[in-house]
Amino acid sequence: MAASDSGGSDATSDRGEATDREETTDRGNAVELRNVRKTYYLGEPVHALDGVDVSIPRGSYTAVMGPSGSGKSTLLNLIGCLDTPTEGEVWVNDREVSALSQRERTEVRGEEVGFVFQTFNLMPKLTAAENVSLPLVFGGVDKNERRKRARELLEDVGLGDRVGHRPNELSGGQRQRVAIARALAADPSIILADEPTGNLDQETGEQIMGLFQRLHDEGNTILMVTHERPIAEHAERVIHVLDGTVERIEEIESPRRVETELV
Amino acid sequence: MEFGESLRLSLRAVRSHKFRSALTVLGVVIGVAAVITFVTLGTSLRADVLGQVGGERAPNVYVWAGPEGQNGGPGAGAQPVLTTHDLDQLRAIEGVESVVPRGLVPTAALSAENDTVAQRQVIATSPAYFDPGDFAAGRSFEQGRREVVVNQQATSLFDRHVGVGQNVTVRLASGDSVNATVVGVLNASEGGGAFEGLGSSEPLVFVPTDPFYGTTVEAVRSYLEDESDAARLVPDDYVFSVETDQDLVDQLEELLNTLTSFITGIAVISLVVGSIGIANIMLVSVTERTKEIGIMKAVGAQNRDVLQLFLLEAVLLGVSGAIVGIPVGVAGAYLAAEYIGLDLVLPYDWFAIAVVVGVLVGVVAGIYPAWSAAKTDPIDALRYE
Ligand SMILES: Nc1ncnc2c1ncn2[C@@H]1O[C@H](COP(=O)(O)OP(=O)(O)OP(=O)(O)O)[C@@H](O)[C@H]1O
Ligand SMILES: [Mg+2]
Repeated sequence: MAASDSGGSDATSDRGEATDREETTDRGNAVELRNVRKTYYLGEPVHALDGVDVSIPRGSYTAVMGPSGSGKSTLLNLIGCLDTPTEGEVWVNDREVSALSQRERTEVRGEEVGFVFQTFNLMPKLTAAENVSLPLVFGGVDKNERRKRARELLEDVGLGDRVGHRPNELSGGQRQRVAIARALAADPSIILADEPTGNLDQETGEQIMGLFQRLHDEGNTILMVTHERPIAEHAERVIHVLDGTVERIEEIESPRRVETELV
Repeated sequence: MEFGESLRLSLRAVRSHKFRSALTVLGVVIGVAAVITFVTLGTSLRADVLGQVGGERAPNVYVWAGPEGQNGGPGAGAQPVLTTHDLDQLRAIEGVESVVPRGLVPTAALSAENDTVAQRQVIATSPAYFDPGDFAAGRSFEQGRREVVVNQQATSLFDRHVGVGQNVTVRLASGDSVNATVVGVLNASEGGGAFEGLGSSEPLVFVPTDPFYGTTVEAVRSYLEDESDAARLVPDDYVFSVETDQDLVDQLEELLNTLTSFITGIAVISLVVGSIGIANIMLVSVTERTKEIGIMKAVGAQNRDVLQLFLLEAVLLGVSGAIVGIPVGVAGAYLAAEYIGLDLVLPYDWFAIAVVVGVLVGVVAGIYPAWSAAKTDPIDALRYE
């Protein structure tokens, strides 16, 4: 089920780090879940995830769909090391993350995955550039380097002229683009997005899809939760989740492509 | 996470709630200001005392006879019991350079020209009591002549200021009057010796023991108690007191130390209250920024980064309280010093101590809130609304 397209392998060869990972991986999976359970005990147990086995190949573009409360966010949070499973194993870049220390999990969050939230989750008092460079601050990157990288990333997402703006001085689509730039700051190989277009109008949503498309073309692994079919169709495959289990995995024959370049 | 960046972020957090931050640090400001005020005054007072009593006049010994257990400075309750013979004997003791008698002559009034003012007493002493530098005008009186020396305050007793060369009449308590000439006016800063009280602002009139007084003296205890005429003249329940200037300085130091520890106690209380204020606002701040903590953790902030940020914020509050408190305290001390006519001496080491205390207050107040921020679970924090 390896779905790395040619674009992906091209880009991987540009990135020495990623190539190393590819060599050490057994099945070339960026993410792997083995019989993962997440149970909340509120009087009686609630199984947010109930025995999930999923593999996300390196360089793939995957969408996760399912009804509200089916466990999509829970799944993403586990992969993003924001949460820990009650049972089972979560492998990210060939490391079992639930066995890692809190400190190491934080490192995974900071360096190996980039999280894009539905509600953007930008720091309200920081400018766009400062928000983008936040992962680098905690990653110990030098100040000048941070500034340069933040500017580059903001230019990449079409916000070169909004560097000094605070989140409340930006539109919803611009905020989400800042959030995406931030997710990319530490150059992670896996991008996790939980309903990245959920709070955006259709046109702005298309812009974001255009960005993801480019990131995918550059070789990043993308896992995106959405409840909108047209958005999911940008991915190569769709994982359908129902009541905490994987219902089915759908391959998209020809993923939709965004033609308009964003500005 | 580098310290500079932490500092920048914390500073921004403090500044984003200027009014709240200002109110929060008020407790620390008041505590630090109180300490600085009193320490500055204490330091100034000590410097003043040492400047007046110490220095060139250090090897003075004061001797008097008074009721046992009498409180007050040297000469308190002194009785005229030492004779001229005692004076000569004391002068003969090895190491005694000179013996200067001093006694109080009870008076009824002073008059100059037709102007009469009430004056309870004049001080009878010998010319050696004064140093040439003590005089603003004129000279010391001479023994056996009807001459007086006055201090600055005494010159303004009369409607028309009294000056050198002027005649005054001293009306003694006994009813007799003595006409005398003012021959010297003391410097404003020269309050007299330890007997007159330091920096005394009372009008003082000095007269020679002869002809105004006959039986005064001062010096060493064994002679006084065993052989002196005074020992026979003194009432049974009176004791001889022998004190040096150093004793006086020690007494003042003791007083200042008591005062300082009292003020320090008050300051510690206000700093504890200040810390509680900071701790409280830090807890509010951590709760308010739960979501931000979640965001930071989601993008790779380690627990210690979060701890550092919040601890630094608390320390900034504590230190800014101290930094504001220092000038406020100095201003308070300045006003008080102006009022009592003291030269201000700034205790610079205490400024440093205040800043260190500010840091400590911040750390103590911030440690729990910062720790609770650091251990926040990222997923819970992100869900927090
Ligand atoms: N902290 C929690 N405590 C208790 N139950 C929880 C908690 N978080 C999630 N759940 C439960 O787990 C289930 C899955 O939640 P999850 O957020 O993953 O759903 P979702 O698929 O993302 O839904 P949506 O599309 O509405 O975002 C839900 O039934 C929810 O009630
Ligand atoms: Mg969700």
